[in-house]
Amino acid sequence: MDLTPNDEQIAFQTATADWCRDNMALEGARARPEGLWAEIEAMGWTGMTAPGMDLDHATEALVFAELGRFLAPIGLIATAVASRWFPDVAEGKVALALTVSEPEDLRVLDPAGSCAVLMSEPGGLRLFDLPDSFTDQSGMVHATPHAPTIDLSTLQSRHEWTSSLWTEDDPAPPLHLQLLSAAYAVGCADAARDMAADYARLREQFDRPIGWFQALKHICSDMAVRAAAARSQLYYAACALDENAADAAFHVAAAKRLADQAALDNGRANIQVHGGIGMTDEAAAHLPLKRAHLLQFIAPAARETLLA
Amino acid sequence: MDIGFSPEEMHFREECRDWLHANVPAGKRPLDAADAITFDKAWQRRLFDAGWAGINWPTDYGGRGLSIVQQVIWLEEYAAAHAPWIGANFVGINHGGPTLILNASEEQKAYHLPRILKGEAIWCQGFSEPGAGSDLAGIKTRGRIEGDELVINGSKIWTSFAHVADWQELVLRTEEGSLRHKGLSWVICDMHAPGITVRPIRKMSGQTEFAEVFYDDVRIPLANVVGGLGNGWKVAMSTLSFERGTGFIADQVKQSQEIEELIAAARANGMIKDDRIADQLAQLRAEVAAVRAMTYRNISEVVRTGQPGPEASVIRLFTSELGQRLERMAVLLMGDAIIDFAYGDDNVVGDYLRGFAATIAGGTAQIQRDIIGERLLGLPKSR
Repeated sequence: MDLTPNDEQIAFQTATADWCRDNMALEGARARPEGLWAEIEAMGWTGMTAPGMDLDHATEALVFAELGRFLAPIGLIATAVASRWFPDVAEGKVALALTVSEPEDLRVLDPAGSCAVLMSEPGGLRLFDLPDSFTDQSGMVHATPHAPTIDLSTLQSRHEWTSSLWTEDDPAPPLHLQLLSAAYAVGCADAARDMAADYARLREQFDRPIGWFQALKHICSDMAVRAAAARSQLYYAACALDENAADAAFHVAAAKRLADQAALDNGRANIQVHGGIGMTDEAAAHLPLKRAHLLQFIAPAARETLLA
Repeated sequence: MDIGFSPEEMHFREECRDWLHANVPAGKRPLDAADAITFDKAWQRRLFDAGWAGINWPTDYGGRGLSIVQQVIWLEEYAAAHAPWIGANFVGINHGGPTLILNASEEQKAYHLPRILKGEAIWCQGFSEPGAGSDLAGIKTRGRIEGDELVINGSKIWTSFAHVADWQELVLRTEEGSLRHKGLSWVICDMHAPGITVRPIRKMSGQTEFAEVFYDDVRIPLANVVGGLGNGWKVAMSTLSFERGTGFIADQVKQSQEIEELIAAARANGMIKDDRIADQLAQLRAEVAAVRAMTYRNISEVVRTGQPGPEASVIRLFTSELGQRLERMAVLLMGDAIIDFAYGDDNVVGDYLRGFAATIAGGTAQIQRDIIGERLLGLPKSR
């Protein structure tokens, strides 16, 4: 039993964080540059999950939490999951569709430049071909837009899509998606916590840093508590998946639930700690909040799984 | 990272399970105070005789000298077997003993540690005073040095098990005129010494397990000072950091059972059909899982570096507040029966009322938040 990263895992974590800091700063999440995806692919994060790589879930969780900390594109989650479960087909970027039970318009996240769409459905994952353009319900034809931003999404009709690829009778693929999105949420919660603590150390009122005041300090402490609980559960869940533990589904669901809450609550608290500037577009405090809202909809934890 | 245990550890787990299965008393810990003490002492002795007391304490003093991971395995199995709370032995086993191991002289360790492990000596804590609660450095109880003795005057408060304790971990001012953290000493105080008066305090749960302690020219040998005169603050902090680190693993393990019992109870009485209750139970179950994950992570840190990481205070805060949420849920599931505040065998009401201590004793939740903000996040110290 060891829930601390080993040296190799720490090296993965550090390398990811270093690259992100230099090339994919959180503040840039408003509008990522066109060439970013090619760089991400070159760094290997889209392919590190492929079957031949033999990387364990624990290392994946650590790396994706770092990516999540910098609000990396959502397409990275979908692409990484697709490269594990549809390795022969998924070449290039894969967008992510939110699950709906009826064949109605679907919300597709991060569609720019994608060649396919990943969607979870009860009991499995499905991969759709993504057309270059799509027709909405009114009959209007849209080209797939190209301007990846943090919360870009489009509504598309599922009727336009074709799919011959899906997983079934295997609980692992949906759990993989849930684990990586939980990791993103853990990173997002960390980002909000650090942004708030940095600001509380710097910003002065009443002739002292606002973090001196317990009212502000305790908001930040609660952010640290939420982030720590979510991160620990993420590690446990990843290990449970690596061990094929009987209760792995529960642990991954618990990780997703706590990570989603930590991301959202920390995102909100971060705005409060920042005060007036926190409400502006100029400050970056709103970016983790908006990302947190989006993450709530990706592979959410089912109550039945948590009570099973 | 992994959550598996080695074959050796799994064998140890089997050993724990087998012994507990055969030896855990069938009845509950008695509610009556005097009966409870007799029960606690007998149970502790039984644990000691079978080699289960002080699993990670040094072998020289009656411990098993095993790893902290084995200690965790024991506590997991202990809770799973519904073994009783260690009760009056809590302070000796979880505070006094560990502090002695870290700070005491050979002589002090050789005398006290085996007695604690055998359940022969009950310990209590003497930290808080009427004027020194969260602000512990405001301690006024003083010890005047006379020859090779300390002459002690003052008072302590919120001392659990004071009426039955043989020894007390007493922090007092031994340097006249000293201020704050300086000039304090950590002393082993004989609770049977002349001049000590214990006045029980009745809790809102109706029990009198804590008390106020008065010292009127109480004479304690200087040889009972632990860690050197004037070093009391440092010694006391080693106890508190232990308490904030691994001292509450037993409680954390117990929570994983409590949530399963709550879910079963909500299914049995149909209240789980209420969406809000079902959702709260799901939330609690996720949080209880996180406590185990945090504990494992903290233990891993201890194994790797020799001490709990700074996030230990996070676990302490999260666990204490989660415990209260679980107790609150248990009360919710009682329905209007709570209005009677009657203490049934299930002890739900007692646990609920006593549970308020979790965010007050050993550093309030607010002090914990100060510590987290200052030590973990680097925010400026406000005190």
